Amino acid sequence: MSQISNNLFKKEQSLAYKMLIPTILILVIIAIYPLGQVVYTSFTNRVFAGVEETEFVGLDNYTSLFSLTIKELPKDKYAFEVLPREPKRYKELTTFSIFNKQYIIGSVHPNFIEAIINTIIFTFFAVFLETLFGFIIALVVNSKFIGRGVMRAIMLLPWAVITVVSARIWEWILFPSRIGFLNMFLSKLGIGNGQISFLTDSGLQLPSLIMVDVWKTTPFMALLILAGLQLVPNELYEAARVDGAGRVKQFFSITLPLLKPSLAVALIFRTLASLRVFGLFQVLVGQQRYSMSSYNYYQLIGNRAMGLASAISVVIFIIIFIFAVMYMKTLGVEDE
Amino acid sequence: MQKLIKTLALSLLIISLFSLPLLAQDRKTVTIAVGGNSVDSAKDLANMYMEKNPDINVEIVETPSSSTERLDLYLQFFEAKSSKVDVYTIDVVWPGILADHLIDFNDYGAKKIVDKHFEAIIENNTLDGRLIALPWYTDGALLFYRTDLLNEYGYDGPPETWDQLEEMAATIQAGERSKGNQDFWGYLWQGNAYEGLTCDALEWVASHGGGQIVNSNKEITIYNDQAIKAIDRAASWVGKISPPAVTGLQEESSRHIWQNGNAAFIRNWPYIYSLGNSEDSVIKGKFDVAPLPGDEPGMSASTLGGWQLAVSKYSQNKEAAVDVAMFMASEEAQKYRAIEESYNPTIKSLYQDEEVLESSPFFEDLYGVFMNAVPRPSTVTAPNYNEVSTSFFQSVHSVLTGEQGAREALGNLQYEIQDITGFEIK
Repeated sequence: MSQISNNLFKKEQSLAYKMLIPTILILVIIAIYPLGQVVYTSFTNRVFAGVEETEFVGLDNYTSLFSLTIKELPKDKYAFEVLPREPKRYKELTTFSIFNKQYIIGSVHPNFIEAIINTIIFTFFAVFLETLFGFIIALVVNSKFIGRGVMRAIMLLPWAVITVVSARIWEWILFPSRIGFLNMFLSKLGIGNGQISFLTDSGLQLPSLIMVDVWKTTPFMALLILAGLQLVPNELYEAARVDGAGRVKQFFSITLPLLKPSLAVALIFRTLASLRVFGLFQVLVGQQRYSMSSYNYYQLIGNRAMGLASAISVVIFIIIFIFAVMYMKTLGVEDE
Repeated sequence: MQKLIKTLALSLLIISLFSLPLLAQDRKTVTIAVGGNSVDSAKDLANMYMEKNPDINVEIVETPSSSTERLDLYLQFFEAKSSKVDVYTIDVVWPGILADHLIDFNDYGAKKIVDKHFEAIIENNTLDGRLIALPWYTDGALLFYRTDLLNEYGYDGPPETWDQLEEMAATIQAGERSKGNQDFWGYLWQGNAYEGLTCDALEWVASHGGGQIVNSNKEITIYNDQAIKAIDRAASWVGKISPPAVTGLQEESSRHIWQNGNAAFIRNWPYIYSLGNSEDSVIKGKFDVAPLPGDEPGMSASTLGGWQLAVSKYSQNKEAAVDVAMFMASEEAQKYRAIEESYNPTIKSLYQDEEVLESSPFFEDLYGVFMNAVPRPSTVTAPNYNEVSTSFFQSVHSVLTGEQGAREALGNLQYEIQDITGFEIK
């Protein structure tokens, strides 16, 4: 008896494997092969659109990305006079001072380190604000009022516009003279002189980019949260009301806990997408300030350093992977 | 049996119906990648060509107007060995970067036409004896100035030195603003972090006697007192005689401000001449052109610009593509573009052509500017020019936005260029 069922089980198992072959093949072709190719290229000095011979360089691309050095900076000297130039040249990343002494941190690819910092700051603020505003909008749209359907459709408009197109629109809105809407508007209110350079002033670049991203992606957040809100059964609120719980109590005891799974999914979605941000940075600030992806693009296409760019891709992949695992662990997505 | 024959006949019919469009396609298609302000005239030229050669279909692919972005796109086509584009319009600084992917026009009998063109450009487009691109038009930057405003404020001619320009721009700007135009600025140029800034900044440096970044002996010369003076001078314009926005302006965005009558001076390429004189232009007939100023009179420098026509190695219709490129570079086509759009021909004889001079009188006076334009160090730093140029414009941009002084920026830049090219520092 057990012999027969065991045979049957084996048969079924081998059939299952056979049926999985197409799926596995497709996965190998569309996911694992390109990824493996990128990892392989990251160990070479391959040139993009080049005809030169490619050489194997080992971990050279990776070590140069993360090489850092700290040197003391005398008052009468410039950074480039202090930092080492052999075998690899270090460029200024940042300076700081302790005990009245200036120190300088040098990096072989300071733009890359800055790109990581830019991307993380951008992601943190953009996702935080999008969640906040998305929540508020979802709560409003979830209540019953006339024209709710129309409201929901209108709300989604910014998200429906292609990123590059909306970035171009914002480029005009942010134009650094009164040709631009925002400068016009602010100068009418008496703020600024109508000449604020939102996209070239280094202190305003990230806030401007975050603003554009919040404008664009809040609807998406609102939509996901709204879907979660509609899953909360009305009876719970009724029961709470009977037990004498107020609106605020209802929100924190019923809405928030029941919303956690959809909120977690929305947060993961947005964080991972924000870490990959490319279009906004590329269109609005180009070669002035990089995100991880736009720096990667510059190294690949602008500098044609395909080996280095592949190493950057792998690093981005690992960073995003770490974020994904962190989220899953802290929000307990696996258990749901 | 009969059923089988019926089925066979039916499938044959269906197959032949689907293959009809393929059979009908005996017209060869040649695709040209063009961008920015050249698109319209490329379309006109394509139509002119198709009228004469009805068996060839010429299509235009529009590419980004920023030259940096356009190069990015071309490299992607070449990496994929794509045959989608046959003829590429390439910047004067790209032959060294793209040569490996382009055909040699000498193999297609270009010998008999090269003598008509400017020697400097033919030389620029020849690598290891291979003529990889035909000159389409040449460019040299000019100073455009408002004749009416210069008259009104008592100046009898355009400035010859940067000091004069600064003084005139400040006076006119203050005057126009007191009349109520708060958006008026003295001097416009292209300060965005892109290839255009390399052109502008090279002019500042060269017109101060600061060299050309890298000299022809492969020595890095950019870190010198005159170059530092030039870049610091330009940084002092931002917010004073030039809008703070200038660090985000390119050719077209600066032209919009100029053509709306909101500037006294602008540095730009000759193409804006005919646009400024078009019917809907506020400044029609109110402006003229001069060479750019120098540190001292006569030290004017203009960056050599211009675009070339090249045929991809991966094209499937090389013969037809070469023929189209030859037509677009021909005397007839260049004359058309010179008259209709004030693009500078690369054919010497057209500078004596009466019809051309009638529509663009400045061609005659400024022939010297175009002949003696300063080339960017693209040949000497090939194939790393793009990286050198990016480092240069990023350094200059950081000075313009006030992040660092010119001395520090250029000091750093010389090592940066050494890192990229391996050249000695002079």
